[in-house]
Amino acid sequence: MASDKKYWQSVEELTNSSFVETLSKNEFVKEIATDEFLGDKETLSTSSTTRRDFLKYVGFTTAAATLAACEGPVVKSIPYVVKPNDIIAGVADWYATSMADGYDFANILVKTREGRPIQIMPNKDANATTSARVQAAVLSLYDEKLRLKEPSKGGKNISWSDADKEIGAALLKLKDSNSPVVLLTGTMASPSTDKIIQEFIVQYPNVKHIIYDAVSESATTDAMMMIYGKRALPNYHLDKAKTIVSFGADFLGDFHGGFEKQYVAGRRPETGSMSYHIQFESNMSLTGANADKRIVAKPSDQIFALVNLFNTITGSNIPSKATPVDAQVKQMASELKKAGSKGVVLTGINDKNAQLVALAINKALNSEIIDVNNTLNIRQGNDSEVAQFVIDLKAGKIGGLITYNVNPLYSLTNSADFAEGLKKVSLSVALSTENNETVDASNYVLPTSHFLESWGDTQFNEVTYGLMQPTIQLLFKTRQLQDTLLTWSGNTTKYYDYLKAFATNTILGGSSWNTALHNGFFIKENTSVAIASEISIVDAAMQLSTLAKKVSGFELNLYTMTGLGDGKQANNPWLQEFPDPITRTSWDNYLTMSMADAKELGFSNPVKDNGAIDGDYAKVSVNGKEVIVPVMIQPGQAKGSVGLALGFGRTFGLKEEMQVGVNAYPLYKNSNNIQFGVTIEKVSGTHKFACTQVQKTIAGRHDILKVASLKEYKTVEPKDHHGWNKPSYVSYDHNEVEANTIDLWDEHNRELGHHFNLSIDLTSCTGCGACIVACHAENNVPVVGKNEVRVGRDMHWLRIDRYYSSEVETREEAKEKGLSRGDTYKALETEAENPEVTFQPMMCQHCNHAPCETVCPVAATTHGRQGQNQMTYNRCVGTRYCANNCPYRVRRFNWFNYANNNEFDFYMNNEYGKMVLNPDVVVRSRGVMEKCSMCIQMTQATILKAKKEGRAVNTDEFETACSSACTTGALVFGDVNNKQDKVSALAKDKRAYNVLDYLQTKPNVVYQVKIKNTNEA
Amino acid sequence: MSHYEASIREPLILGDKNYHDITEDIVKPIEGKANKHWYMAFYISLAAMLWGFGCIFYTVGTGIGVWGLSKNIGWAWDITNFVWWVGIGHAGTLISAVLLLFRQKWRMAINRSAEAMTIFAVFQAGLFPIIHMGRPWNAYWVLPIPNQFGSLWVNFNSPLLWDVFAISTYLSVSLVFWWTGLLPDFAMIRDRAVKPFQKKIYSLLSFGWSGRAKDWQRFEEVSLVLAGLATPLVLSVHTIVSMDFATSINPGWHSTIFPPYFVAGAIFSGFAMVQTLLGIMRKVTNMEDYITRMHIEYMNIVIILTGGIVAVAYATEFFIAWYTGSPYENYTYLSVGAATGPYSWAFWSLMIFNIMIPQLLWIKKFRRSFIVSFIISIAINIGMWFERFDIIAIVLSKGHLPSTWWRFEPTFVDVGIFIGTIGFFFVLFLLYARTFPVIAQAEVKTILKSSGEFYKKRSAQGIATKPAINIAGNVVINDKSDKKDIE
Repeated sequence: MASDKKYWQSVEELTNSSFVETLSKNEFVKEIATDEFLGDKETLSTSSTTRRDFLKYVGFTTAAATLAACEGPVVKSIPYVVKPNDIIAGVADWYATSMADGYDFANILVKTREGRPIQIMPNKDANATTSARVQAAVLSLYDEKLRLKEPSKGGKNISWSDADKEIGAALLKLKDSNSPVVLLTGTMASPSTDKIIQEFIVQYPNVKHIIYDAVSESATTDAMMMIYGKRALPNYHLDKAKTIVSFGADFLGDFHGGFEKQYVAGRRPETGSMSYHIQFESNMSLTGANADKRIVAKPSDQIFALVNLFNTITGSNIPSKATPVDAQVKQMASELKKAGSKGVVLTGINDKNAQLVALAINKALNSEIIDVNNTLNIRQGNDSEVAQFVIDLKAGKIGGLITYNVNPLYSLTNSADFAEGLKKVSLSVALSTENNETVDASNYVLPTSHFLESWGDTQFNEVTYGLMQPTIQLLFKTRQLQDTLLTWSGNTTKYYDYLKAFATNTILGGSSWNTALHNGFFIKENTSVAIASEISIVDAAMQLSTLAKKVSGFELNLYTMTGLGDGKQANNPWLQEFPDPITRTSWDNYLTMSMADAKELGFSNPVKDNGAIDGDYAKVSVNGKEVIVPVMIQPGQAKGSVGLALGFGRTFGLKEEMQVGVNAYPLYKNSNNIQFGVTIEKVSGTHKFACTQVQKTIAGRHDILKVASLKEYKTVEPKDHHGWNKPSYVSYDHNEVEANTIDLWDEHNRELGHHFNLSIDLTSCTGCGACIVACHAENNVPVVGKNEVRVGRDMHWLRIDRYYSSEVETREEAKEKGLSRGDTYKALETEAENPEVTFQPMMCQHCNHAPCETVCPVAATTHGRQGQNQMTYNRCVGTRYCANNCPYRVRRFNWFNYANNNEFDFYMNNEYGKMVLNPDVVVRSRGVMEKCSMCIQMTQATILKAKKEGRAVNTDEFETACSSACTTGALVFGDVNNKQDKVSALAKDKRAYNVLDYLQTKPNVVYQVKIKNTNEA
Repeated sequence: MSHYEASIREPLILGDKNYHDITEDIVKPIEGKANKHWYMAFYISLAAMLWGFGCIFYTVGTGIGVWGLSKNIGWAWDITNFVWWVGIGHAGTLISAVLLLFRQKWRMAINRSAEAMTIFAVFQAGLFPIIHMGRPWNAYWVLPIPNQFGSLWVNFNSPLLWDVFAISTYLSVSLVFWWTGLLPDFAMIRDRAVKPFQKKIYSLLSFGWSGRAKDWQRFEEVSLVLAGLATPLVLSVHTIVSMDFATSINPGWHSTIFPPYFVAGAIFSGFAMVQTLLGIMRKVTNMEDYITRMHIEYMNIVIILTGGIVAVAYATEFFIAWYTGSPYENYTYLSVGAATGPYSWAFWSLMIFNIMIPQLLWIKKFRRSFIVSFIISIAINIGMWFERFDIIAIVLSKGHLPSTWWRFEPTFVDVGIFIGTIGFFFVLFLLYARTFPVIAQAEVKTILKSSGEFYKKRSAQGIATKPAINIAGNVVINDKSDKKDIE
């Protein structure tokens, strides 16, 4: 019935007109291809998927896809499947080992995390010290750009066994033809290696071992050989010295490996006596900067002065010449005589005759300071052997050459001769940790392990026997030199077993090997007593003064910089970014020139509008060699002399950013650091320096860095009106009151729990900068590169400010001289031509009333209960207000992303470099502020350790990276609420003061007034 | 009485206008087509704005390192520009609020544009605190919003936080005040609009203004209340901005004189910018009859006064820097050290543009000259920018420790962003000039009979000027000019 009904919508439809039909057909102009989309009808009908299900699936997949898109990048952290026995994730393991890379030698402790070495600290039990370079060596381990990864032959990879077979055959052939083979190494100071080499030579009698030091002290060892019959460097017990006279010996730098620890030990004002240190020098060295009296003398004058001193002391009459410093020399002579056996003379002139004269003076003085028995073995290079070897090599007399971690093609003056000769040898093998020019020119390249991956032993001096042990699994397919030589000698013993047997049998004398290895060193009896042979020094002194008489032109004093040394670690970004303590310039070497000479020759260092310093280029010619090098005007440089650092200008294999500076080795003729007859010519071009400090003087603000003489220290009341540690006064209720008596804030009770203070002794700080690199390593401080340092964006949490004195030091002095106000500024701001130098380590002062804390709008920087000013990176929005309001300007802003950024391809941008990062410290992202945290991760670890062991924290147990790295003990960290902690007494010492105390920021960093021994003379 | 004004006072409306003339004059730029000059100016501004936005994106995408800042100089052009724009934004509220309370009728011709300028300038100013952040995407953390980050809260000690409150309050009150004043004028445009879209827009903008007596009464009341609210803001905003510096411990910033001195400086720069803008606008939009020499002179007098305060403040700062005898004060931005140091060019630019050149306004001829006023106003704008640059860059360049002395040089991004904000500002202002009634016509009409030139003359001649409007709203023909109007 119902079906009969017809529903209609229009009359046309009812009447069934064709019009409607057409319309209904055209309703969907094109049929929607649903079948095509869903599949053919058949599958659709057989499928159990209903429309509802379909929609569910669509909804689910869309939601899932959306959710998946929201997920952040996945960072995999893989747990240990089988946990290694001695590794607890998150707990650091420390290993005692030794560093010996041919130039830097130290007993060290290595901090490893999850099997990765991340920091090097001095092994204080071994009385060891670390320099910036030793500290930074841990990063060189991870240098994936420069390290050799596989043995190769003629550029093609080869297996170790094939290499051994081929080289062994070649060696045999050379042995049979009795063709000389030279094993060229740097100083290794390793008794077991010496023995292995001896055994190797027994196997191959045609092999000769020649030791080549790029920066040589061969003149001293030769002189020692002549007098004491021993090729070694004398040791100096400067801690016992009363008078130290140095002629250009940078003994706080690289002279004989440095003596800063002993030097500072002899300069403790609280003991009432300090050594009196006079430095005659041409370059401004770290040692000269620390001297009580620094006398400017160009190298030839130093030579004459040395001879004159010899004459005065010994009463001889060697012909010499009057020098401008003769008066001082006379004075020094009487000082030395007064000091008697407590006096010592050192000279850094790398000339055998000069060294002989110095040794003779010390002998005449009967000096107890110089030690010729417990000598130093860290420079064993023999210049004359090396020179003869290069001649032979060039002449084609050498059949085979095996080099180990030396780069003569870069560091020899006559590297062209070497290159020519190298082509003539039938077998050239380079055993090397890092790629370099010499490696590239050798046929066989055998990668050796880094010292942190190696076994070994060292004998830096006659007493301390150091052991070396691996702190990480081999990163690449490397093998130690010792294993290689053992293999080639046909000895199947592993070097580890060999070393153990060697040490047990010949050194340890019954002591436990395990204990020695655990300690990293073993102190043995020194039995060698050097007996001086009576030789006449007169000839040597005559020759010396004749040499100096012939000089003309400029005198060039080549030196090594605190950062790069001999250039072994030129690809280490920490060291490149490390500002030189004296010039505070990073990423460069330069010709240091006196102000007078610069004026005469038209050199200048203009400060650009962006704060950076520029320089002009000079063409330096000596002995037919020329280099073009930028000029840095150096206050305190002797007129007529120039200085230039070795170790720069390496290019082969280095990252492009690291290829900075100029190679000065071509000028290093006969390995003499003094070169005469130098001509200097200004050439066109402007050099861009990366200098971290532009203003050189303290501009009359002497309350920032207080200096007093020993006499004042002993006789004047420090807080008096004319005292040497006068506090700041402010006006309050129209009365002059001490600034620290008034306060805007209510004081917190700081007696509860721990309260950390850091004391910095300006007397002990030599400015060496080991702390800077230690801080770098501990706190993952980024490296920003030359261009960024240039515009004032270095990220160092800890810096060492260097101030030169000015001709006019105070406003009062200027007034007396009748200077106008404008001239006073100029006088105070301009450094003196021959200034005194002071250093001031500067880091976050952790003010109890911190100006940075009040201004942060988001409270990202706040004060900790233990005195630290804390920075919450996650909360920081980066207004930089805190940095502007910090009177010490120690806050560092992340201008860019310094990690995982190809623009900053230093060490946080590759998988190997990142292995050095300290997992306890976060890597900061761009846009946040950072600064010294007083190593809060270290103090917390100390507290937790004590807590776990159920005890109170021990006295002096707290440490920061900088304080543990400090060689001289200038930085002392601790808890002032523990009265036994050293820092508690130091914080109240009469030398203690706070920088800018008039601001009453109440810092937790305390400085100790610098005491100079200026009154003795 | 309210319709009587002494004939010796100069008229505020020139020519013989009637109410309808005023309406016509003011809606002309809105209803007419823009001329070539407008388009030229607009496209130049737009290009500058886009360039600036590009630089902002570059900064946000790469890092603040693309600016010329360094470890020792954490602020430079960013905060200079911020303070400069905030300062410019000061004249608007002063003119509309303070002068309203003081019943200064001359403000009526300029308050609309001055307020527009204020709002647009505050937009520019507000940009800088955000983009100068290292992580601007977290900028909302400076707002005290209850959050789920834990117990994190803002730091109420920080002057930067006070800035957030001060600027946002200022912007919102200024915006409301401006809009309130615009209501009758929008309604006027709405009533005249013929295009439906335009009518719709202006209906929305005018909030249903009907012109009833009740509307007017409320309008007057709200204006008065808002003026009362806004007046303290004139003092507070720049006081707080000055505290960014005054509460810090940098010598040269740490100065109790800063609040009054900053406020005076802000008004000084604000009036200078109003002069600059009106100098252009009265020409471009043919408002010569409404913005007269009289207006220019009055504003110049305010400029002399505030400029004088600023000059005295400079002298005080300079004196104190010397008088303290503290070596740390030697290099503050107003000291012998600054005058002779590497930034002496900035120091002397400040002195010349801000102190010396404005002294010309003591001469009546210059004070009443459009072109001289315009040039001096430009000089003051430059000078006030230098004042902020000097305060920030010179002080930061010579911090407490000499080892941290450094210099600042802007990069192209620094310059680009500054130019971009100028472009953005003019884009907004030019759009405003084409779509908004640039003069508060409703208010101006209230003084036509008392301060209009024609009526003043007639009143001086003793002719009665009673308002005569018939029931249809037309002016009753009672004199020649009205007749002409009808024809």
